[in-house]
Formats: sequence, C-alpha cells, structure tokens
Amino acid sequence: MSINKIDPTKWVDKYSDYLFNYTITRVNDRELANDLISETFLAGLKSMKNFKGEASERTWLISILKRKIIDQYRKINSNKGRAEVKIKYKEDSNDGDWLEEQAPDRFDKTAEDIMENEELGLAILNCMESLPEKQAKIFKMKTIDGFDTETICNEFNITPSNLWVIIHRARTTLAQCLEKNWF
Amino acid sequence: MNKKISLLVDCAEAGYCCDKKQYNEASFLEKIKILLHLAICKPCRKYASNSTKLTKLIEKSDLKSCPEEEKKIWKETIEKEISK
Repeated sequence: MSINKIDPTKWVDKYSDYLFNYTITRVNDRELANDLISETFLAGLKSMKNFKGEASERTWLISILKRKIIDQYRKINSNKGRAEVKIKYKEDSNDGDWLEEQAPDRFDKTAEDIMENEELGLAILNCMESLPEKQAKIFKMKTIDGFDTETICNEFNITPSNLWVIIHRARTTLAQCLEKNWF
Repeated sequence: MNKKISLLVDCAEAGYCCDKKQYNEASFLEKIKILLHLAICKPCRKYASNSTKLTKLIEKSDLKSCPEEEKKIWKETIEKEISK
C-alpha cells in the first residue's frame, strides 16, 4: 500500500474548494463554513503526527471537518429552548447578505436531488484535482465564477487563444474523468 | 482550394469553437464552422456532446467557489503555525 505524505502548505490550494462545498451544503452559512474550515486546518496541523498515511490527505481533512460540523450542530441544539430573539437582519444594514439565506427552498427540488447534486459537485471537484494547478484555476474562474475572457487573460497575462487552449485541455480531461465516474 | 472562406476546419479548431459555444462566446461564423465540421466528424460529435453534458452537470451541481481572500488568510495562518 502506498503511503500518503502530508504537506500543509498545499492544503489551501488543493482542498479548500472541496472542503468549502462540503461544508456549505451542510451548514448553509458562508461565514460559519469559513470558520469551520479554518478550525479544521488548525486541528489538522496539530494532529499531523497522527496522520498515518493510510487515507488520502483529503479524506483525513474531511474526517476532521465532519467532527467540527457535528460539534456545530450540537452547539445549535443546546441553544434550543432558550428564548431567542433574532433581530439581526434589522440591526445591521448588510443587505445582500440575507437574500441568500432568506430565500425559500425551491419546491421542484426533492431531498434526493439535493443530495445527488452535492455528490456531483464533489465528484467534479475531485476530478479537478487531477488537473494541473494553473489549468484548474483558470477553468474555475471561467466556468464557476463566470469571469469574462478578457479579465482572466489580463490576470494571468495570456492571450485569448492561450486561454481557449487551456480551457479545452481542462474540459477534455474533466469530461473523461466524469465519464468514468459519473455519466 | 478553400482558402478564401475556410469554413471547413480541422478538429482542433472545431474543438475550440465548441468550447467557446459552451460559454456563449462563439461568433456566428464559428457556429457554422462547428455545424459543418460535426456533420463530417464523429469523434468531434462525441466531444461536443460530452462537453454539453459537462456544462449541464456543472450548472446542476451548483458549485460555489471559496473566496480568494479567505484562502489567503488560511494560507498565512498555516504558514505561521508551521514556522512556530
């Protein structure tokens, strides 16, 4: 069995999107998700010695993150029953923040759909990990964040035809990977 | 032969046009090139259909990207912890 090595300096680049999507589907709050992930990284650093290399780094980080999320659920539960008045939204004038949280669930989506979509998202990110770093970054910016071609070209200092070559390679790899694992 | 208006393109160019189409950035001419090329090229038809599937899957999965500022903060924290 191959032994997996641990390298914390790569964690953020490699896994933060995966961890973020994993968390956001469970806690549904961006700030909380950020806090939980940062706690996970710290806990990971502390217990690095215990990493035996039997699982992949990501699996190991996810297992830490799971504990953090469960702790979070417990915290919420222990607060139940206490009188709770939420006037948060009227207090601070952070409009924009609340729109996302207050929107009603979509009626045409069943629990199964949501579960499947979450797994799908993680499967896609999993495939993206096999892409070279720059390709993955550009592909994410273009496809998920929806930046336009010009912005990305300026940022990475490349020509549009460079960009399309990179996008093409990324799409080919991803389509193959997903064909194996998903289609 | 076909140099003046080269509507018949090779697979590589058809591929790029296909990708552009996925992001709604293909020009009218490029769309015609795709149609003509796909009519005669089976592997590219497969690529085009897979590419469309990929776009749909990504849309469906509703992926969110983690904010870059947050990543920077995490990186700094991790580096600080390591150097301790």
